[in-house]
Amino acid sequence: MEAKTAQAAGAGRHEDIAGFTFEQALKELEGIVSRLERGDVEVEESIQIHERGEALKAHCDRVLKRAEAKVEKIKLDAAGAPVGVEPLDAEG
Amino acid sequence: MATLYITHDRFIDHDTGPGHPERPDRMRSVHKALAADAFDALDRRQAPWRDDVEAAITAAHPKSYVDDLKARAPSPGGDLVRLDPDTVMSPGTWEAAMRAVSGGLDAVDAVMGGDVANAFCAVRPCGHHAERTTAMGFCLFNNVAIAGMYARARHGAERVAVIDFDVHHGNGTQDIYEREPALFFASTHQMPLYPGTGALSETGVGNICNAPLRPGDGKEPFQDAFESRVLPALRHFGPDLILISAGFDAHRDDPLANLQLTEADFVWATGKIAEVADKHCEGRLVSMLEGGYDLAALERSVAAHVGMLMQAGA
Repeated sequence: MEAKTAQAAGAGRHEDIAGFTFEQALKELEGIVSRLERGDVEVEESIQIHERGEALKAHCDRVLKRAEAKVEKIKLDAAGAPVGVEPLDAEG
Repeated sequence: MATLYITHDRFIDHDTGPGHPERPDRMRSVHKALAADAFDALDRRQAPWRDDVEAAITAAHPKSYVDDLKARAPSPGGDLVRLDPDTVMSPGTWEAAMRAVSGGLDAVDAVMGGDVANAFCAVRPCGHHAERTTAMGFCLFNNVAIAGMYARARHGAERVAVIDFDVHHGNGTQDIYEREPALFFASTHQMPLYPGTGALSETGVGNICNAPLRPGDGKEPFQDAFESRVLPALRHFGPDLILISAGFDAHRDDPLANLQLTEADFVWATGKIAEVADKHCEGRLVSMLEGGYDLAALERSVAAHVGMLMQAGA
């Protein structure tokens, strides 16, 4: 049985993904999507890379969830005393 | 009578490294949840580091296992020690682990002594995957199994039951309890999922009751598993004390699994277990935190679970 941390929703055997940044995961996922869309992949490999894609997607979801939780926390803190929170500057 | 709430800030010092789902912020979320006005009536106590904690642990784990982990625990300023791909010790881990087990022992003392109606222990590291001789799945010592064995040895509770609604199977508790007919373990969990155990066919000496659920299952299959398997087996066992391995990762927002429960389902399960406790053992119930990895869901779920404990104990 694989590691508990590697088992997030559909992560299955792709333990390496757990260490990926959001950008790394998204980049590989985009590559998989474009290969599948082109349709030049053998059936067996397409199943494997589809699984890999699911694991990458699950990892991206997790990273986003954690980011959301952080954003929520900042909002909460800011509601009380917006100390240390810089407004976003589109020009800067 | 009051509901006891045991925790300690040292549980935040168990550092699992960057990106690990079982992270210190989980403890902060639980503390935040129970700081609300609605929980003013809780009897709040700090988890101690008891002198007898290592002796209590050796009821469930060999002394050589305890000594080995103690020797491997990093010193202040030391690097993280990886026991397996999931399970990590940091310089703060040993004290946290000792307080986590001790908190369960204090909760058992208070509940068995009749000082409080029931108890919730918010602890880290969690415990239910820790087998007799194997640390795994974020767990070092099996907090809940040790608490149950201590209740028998110290307080004369003849029959002790553990109900585990964490989304992962409590393989460690099953490993420690499965040959002892006066100890009972029942678990609802997703299958297939880590750690891979928990099939219906695993029944110990008639004292183990597994109720696996399928990925995607929600309220109805969960309630059915409780009504048709867990609760009848628990009533039949006739406990003198009930312990709960309270993991909240069966929540639909949890990133580590695929069940679809909500806070309301945890309230329902807690209420059903409390009903059996009322009927069989004067409401004696000790709940210990296990998993739950979405911080917002964890915060709401703990509040809901402890709210129900307070209602049951009132």
